[in-house]
Amino acid sequence: MYGGDTQGNAYVDDYLVPAAAKEGVTLKRVPVADTKDALNRVLTEKQSGTTAGQVDLVWVNGDNFGTGKAAGAWACGWTSLLPNMGVTNPSDPLLSEDFGTPVDGCEAPWSKAQFTIAYNSAAVPGPPKTLAGLLDWVKEHPGRFTYPAPPDFTGSVLTREVLYSVSGGYTNVPLAFDQGAFDRLTPALVTELQDLKPSLWREGSTYPKSSRELNALYAGGQVDFTMTYGPAELTKLVTDGTFPAATKVLALDEGTVGNASFLAIPSTSGHRSAAMVVANLALSEEQQARKADPGIWGQFPVLNPGALSPEGRALFGRLPSSPVVPGYEVLSKNANPELAAAWVPALDELWRRQILAGK
Amino acid sequence: MAVTLPPGLSQQASRKGAAQNGLARSRAGGRILRTATAAALAVWFVLPLLPLGLWVFADRWSYPAPLPQHWGLDNVESALARGAATGFAGSLGLGLMVSAVATPLGVLAARSLAFHPSRWSAAVSALLFAPLALPAFVAVFGLNVLLVRLQVPSTAGVVLVLTAYALPYTTYVMRLAYAAHHIGFEEEACTLGATRGQVLFRVQLPLIAPALARAAFLAFLVGWTDYLVTLLVGGGSLVTVPLLVASAASGTGNDGIVAVLSLIALVPPLALLLLMGMTGRRHRGGRT
Repeated sequence: MYGGDTQGNAYVDDYLVPAAAKEGVTLKRVPVADTKDALNRVLTEKQSGTTAGQVDLVWVNGDNFGTGKAAGAWACGWTSLLPNMGVTNPSDPLLSEDFGTPVDGCEAPWSKAQFTIAYNSAAVPGPPKTLAGLLDWVKEHPGRFTYPAPPDFTGSVLTREVLYSVSGGYTNVPLAFDQGAFDRLTPALVTELQDLKPSLWREGSTYPKSSRELNALYAGGQVDFTMTYGPAELTKLVTDGTFPAATKVLALDEGTVGNASFLAIPSTSGHRSAAMVVANLALSEEQQARKADPGIWGQFPVLNPGALSPEGRALFGRLPSSPVVPGYEVLSKNANPELAAAWVPALDELWRRQILAGK
Repeated sequence: MAVTLPPGLSQQASRKGAAQNGLARSRAGGRILRTATAAALAVWFVLPLLPLGLWVFADRWSYPAPLPQHWGLDNVESALARGAATGFAGSLGLGLMVSAVATPLGVLAARSLAFHPSRWSAAVSALLFAPLALPAFVAVFGLNVLLVRLQVPSTAGVVLVLTAYALPYTTYVMRLAYAAHHIGFEEEACTLGATRGQVLFRVQLPLIAPALARAAFLAFLVGWTDYLVTLLVGGGSLVTVPLLVASAASGTGNDGIVAVLSLIALVPPLALLLLMGMTGRRHRGGRT
C-alpha cells in the first residue's frame, strides 16, 4: 500500500496486523511510493500467467482500479462472501462505482474521503464560501494560491471542481464522458483557469508537481491554501506543527466531490482466502472505528450508520472529534459525484495544452 | 575519485604527489591554496547534510523557525517502528549478496580478458558493459515476466538482475588491476616450485587485494542503493532502505523520518569507504 502516510502505516502495523494474526493470517505491509508500482507488479505476474503472485491485497481506487480491472488484474465477485459487507449500504453509489467503473465485487470498500480545501485562517480572515468566491479571492490576492499541475491526482480534482463551478453545478455536467458535453462545457473552464493564471503563485509560470509540493509551499507560508483528497492527514499535520496552527477546512456551500477507496485482491494472488479474511476484518465495526479515530488515522468509515450493531454505534459514538477536520456528515454535505474515469485524462490533456503550454 | 583508481595508477599518483610535495615545500602559497580548496570541498559535501542532521532530532520544526523548536527522538522512534531495522538488514543482505556474486565473476571475466585475449574479447567486453547503457526500467520490465514465468524466487531474481548491473563495475575495476598486474610474478613463483594454491593465495591475491576491495565495494553499492529492481522484481518480498525512503518521501510532514532513513542509508557505504582508506594506506605504507 501507499506508504507516504505515517498514520496509515501506523494503523495497519499497530491494529490491522495484530487483528489479522489473531485470525491466523500473517499480514505484511509493503510500502510503495505510488500504487502504480504495485499494479505494475500485478500486471507482470498476470502476463506471465502465475497463480502464486507476491501481492495479495492492494489499497486502490480510481484509475488504478479501472486500469487493473480492464486488464483482468483483480479477482472479482468475492466481496459478497464477506460477512461484514452486510454492515455497508448496498445502494451507496460511492461503493458500487469507483470513478465510473462498476466495482462488480472486485474490491471491498475500506474508507471514504472527501475533497477538502484547507486554509490558514490567520492569513485569510473572511474565507470564501463557494468555489467561485475562492477564485475571486485568488484574483484579489495575487500570488497566494496555486494548485498541483494535472495529471497530479489532487490538481486534477481541482480542475473538475472548477468545471462544476463554471458549469453552474455538478448537475449540469453529465457523469459519463461525452465528447459533445466536453466541447460545450470546457471553453468556460479554460477561460476561467487562464484568467486565474496571472494571480497564481509565481504568476502561474510554474505549478507544484504534486500535492506534496503544494503542501510544502503551504507549510512554508508561501501560499494560504492547500487541498487534499485525504483530509485525515490534516489533523496530524497541524498537531505536529508541519501546518500552521490556524489551519481550517474551507466549507463550500455547493459541496465537494467525494470518493471511496478499496482493498482489491490481485487475480494472481497465491493467498486469496487469507486476503479475504483481512478485507473482511478491515470492514469490521471495530477496525473501522479505530481507523476513524483522528488520533490514529481519521479515515472516514464506509459502514452504513443505520446498519450498525448497538456495540458498533457505541464505538463510533465514543470517537473523539478532530480539532481541524469536521466530521464526515458535515464534509460530505451536498457531496458531488465524481465524473467517470474517461473524463479525467481528457481534462488533464486539455489542461496541459491550453493552460500549461498556453499563454 | 580515489575509489576507481587501479592500484598501479594510484601508486603513481601518490608518488607524483610526494614529488610535488617536495617541490611545494618552498612555495607556502600553493599549500595554503590546496588546504583552502580541500576545506571548501569538505564544506561543499558536508553542508547539505547539516539540515538532515537537524531534522533527525527535530520533533517539531515549523515554518518560519530557523531551528527546530522541540528536540527529541520521535523521528528515530517512528522510523524504527515503521521497519527501519528490517529495511537496514534487507539492504545489508542484498548489498553483500550482490557483492559476493558479482566480485568473483568480475575477477574471472577481467582475468580472462586480460590474459587470454581472443577475437571475441571485444564482443564479450561490450556484452559485459551493456547493462550500463540499458536503463534498469527497460530491462526489468522485460525480464520480470521471464523471471516470474520461470518461477525464480523473487529474492534470487533481485540478486541475479543486480549482479548483471554490478558486473560492469567489478569487471572494469579488475580489468584495470590486471592491466597493471604482471603475470611474471605468478610465473616466477611457479618456477620456484609454488603450488597453484600458493600462487593464488600468496602472490595473486595480495597483489590484487586493493582492487578487489574496490570492486566489492562498488558491487555492494549497486545492491545497497537499488530501488527499482528491488521493487519490481522483488514484488514486495524484500523491503530495503531505499524502498522506505521513497515511500516516506512521497508524503507530507515526513521530513524527520526521511532524514533518519537517509542517514541510516549513508552509514554502511561511509564506514566501508573509511575502512578501505585505512587498510589501503597501511598496505601502501608497508610496501614502500
